[in-house]
Amino acid sequence: MFSTELVVQTVISGVMIGVLYALMALGITFIYSIMRMINWAMGEFYMIGSYLQYALVALLLGPDLWWLAIPISAAGVFAFGLVVQWSLLKPIFRKPPEARDDYATVVTLALLLLLRSLATGLAGPNQFSPGSNLPVVMVGPMPLAGARVAAFVFALAALALFYCLLRYSWYGLALRATSQSRIGVQTAGIDVQGVDRIAFGVGVALAGLAGALLAPVFLVYPTNGLITTVKGFEIVVIGGLGSIPGALIAGVLLGLIESLGAAFIDSAYQNIYGFALVLLILVLRPTGLFGERGREA
Amino acid sequence: MRGRRFSTGISLGFLLAGTIAAGVLASGLPAQAQDIGIGLVVPLSPPGDPVGGQLIRRGAELGVETVNAAGGVLGGRKFKLYVEDSQGKPEAGVAAYRRLVSENKVAVVPGFFHSSVAIAANEVANEMGVPTMALQASAAEITSKHYEVAFRTHVVDPVRVSAFMEFIKQKGFKRVSMIAETTDYGIGIADETIAQAKKAGGVEIQKVPFDRTVTDLTPQLLQIKAFKPDLVINIGVGQPLDLIIDQATTIGLLPTTPMLISYDAPVRPQYWKLHPKNGAGLYFIAYFSPKAPLSDIGTAFSKAYVEKYKEDPVYGALNGFGAIAIIAQAINAAKSTDSKALIKTLETGTFKSWPSNPVTFPRASGVYWHNWSAPVLILHYTKPMEDWKEAEVAVQYAPVVPKD
Repeated sequence: MFSTELVVQTVISGVMIGVLYALMALGITFIYSIMRMINWAMGEFYMIGSYLQYALVALLLGPDLWWLAIPISAAGVFAFGLVVQWSLLKPIFRKPPEARDDYATVVTLALLLLLRSLATGLAGPNQFSPGSNLPVVMVGPMPLAGARVAAFVFALAALALFYCLLRYSWYGLALRATSQSRIGVQTAGIDVQGVDRIAFGVGVALAGLAGALLAPVFLVYPTNGLITTVKGFEIVVIGGLGSIPGALIAGVLLGLIESLGAAFIDSAYQNIYGFALVLLILVLRPTGLFGERGREA
Repeated sequence: MRGRRFSTGISLGFLLAGTIAAGVLASGLPAQAQDIGIGLVVPLSPPGDPVGGQLIRRGAELGVETVNAAGGVLGGRKFKLYVEDSQGKPEAGVAAYRRLVSENKVAVVPGFFHSSVAIAANEVANEMGVPTMALQASAAEITSKHYEVAFRTHVVDPVRVSAFMEFIKQKGFKRVSMIAETTDYGIGIADETIAQAKKAGGVEIQKVPFDRTVTDLTPQLLQIKAFKPDLVINIGVGQPLDLIIDQATTIGLLPTTPMLISYDAPVRPQYWKLHPKNGAGLYFIAYFSPKAPLSDIGTAFSKAYVEKYKEDPVYGALNGFGAIAIIAQAINAAKSTDSKALIKTLETGTFKSWPSNPVTFPRASGVYWHNWSAPVLILHYTKPMEDWKEAEVAVQYAPVVPKD
């Protein structure tokens, strides 16, 4: 059933969700580009961000101060990320690089199970919603929840801020240099382990920010980070590991393909369309759309 | 308060003791110290419906406490409940069933909230021989395969859909959209609705399936909005159900188009916490009306439940309790925990559970094989934060079980 209005609405919906997917993917790709490790527990940091947002809005600040809860939640996840990096990952990176990836994989997978079980144990398996007082907003012909529009705007602002810091600040330069050569930057006096700590904290804070932003839209429960992690990894493969523009463009592409596929091909296979795109990219361009450019950045 | 709880527990114990006493005395068996294992497979974490699982678990735990307080079964043997989390996944449910049977040596495995889990577990149960009892899984296939081991105390798909059709006819709806998860439950109900609507005629049906791991259901709901239905049937279970309500509200589908929820999730206290602003006006299936009479053990259970959990028991909890009560009576009547003897007793016996009417599991035809079902209701929340016990009864549908 094709109608212009339905196509436009579906495109808007796809772009909106795509940008939010990109925020998640950005954390994964940023941590990888600096530390050369995959954080498999990324979804659990998303989950923590959503629980923090719920706790702050429902128990402390109230729905009117939802916007204040968002940076606090992201900061909480950043602080937790620093602790995780210092206690669990730093010891791995002090040793020679052999099997570092394997250790990091085991540690982050164990962390995934631990955090998920802790969430179930502490908050129970039930769903929660921090609620939102924001009114429905018309974006063209498409009515959208105020919380979703706010999440979209916050996500775009966070992506822009992150890009500017990385591109135009001294610390951003150090981060980019570390992504090019971990040994080389040490000759310039940069503390690589310090950079690792900040990179891990910022990477998981981006996931926490996504969790906080999406808490009123997609609800809060122990496994809510799972699907966003899967999308994040899909985007990383499509956009290219280590590429920030790649993450944004791939996120929007994934959101669009899923939405249009679900609306006009078969709604039962919404997740399959993204995987089909991943397979296509792997065949045609194994480094992703912006893979090489990202590695040079 | 503690004293009152104790006295309620004692009275519930006496009632159940009375119910199962005949079997105990008839068995003439000496008291044995060995516990009898009862398995319980329910979803306690997502992607399953953990609230649904938790309610069944509460009822079953209280049921086991009651049986044990009444002196146990077979002249003094106590029940020991082994609870396993199916996560709503067939593979986890099958592993749980295997573990319960092979490691915990349980006599019966009730539970099974999700149809896909029940269907998968029944395939293994058919080989291992220990009976299952589905307490809130409605797919036709659970009993239509006529497995000796498969029992159910829940409404089957055709009955649920007959209630839908009664509602559609009553309201004069002509265009109906279904948003259905791609599980045995969702697709089973959607296909049955299409079949019954085709038979009835005069109703155009739109089926929009979705993968239950998807969180953004906007594309599906936009398709539904474009169809301009008179009614939307929400066939999601657990978290997707709530996402559909919220996202349908966002795009303006709710509250202008009525929505019918396919099971009794809105009776749970959590419903109004998640939907304080958009939960009113919705219709939903329920299997129990507080206005309907309970049996003596059902009434005593209800009191004990309120004292323990400070809320009224809903269907899931009642059915969890009922399963344990039925199993206790069946073991005493069979004078054994042997699977074949238990199956024979369940098939031929008449049991007391939470409703006032007796429960039986006849070898009936089609989906009614080994199946007992409570009447189906469609309730309507007419105002925000309404107590489900006060909800308007839109449809009351009593299933007609064919007699062979």
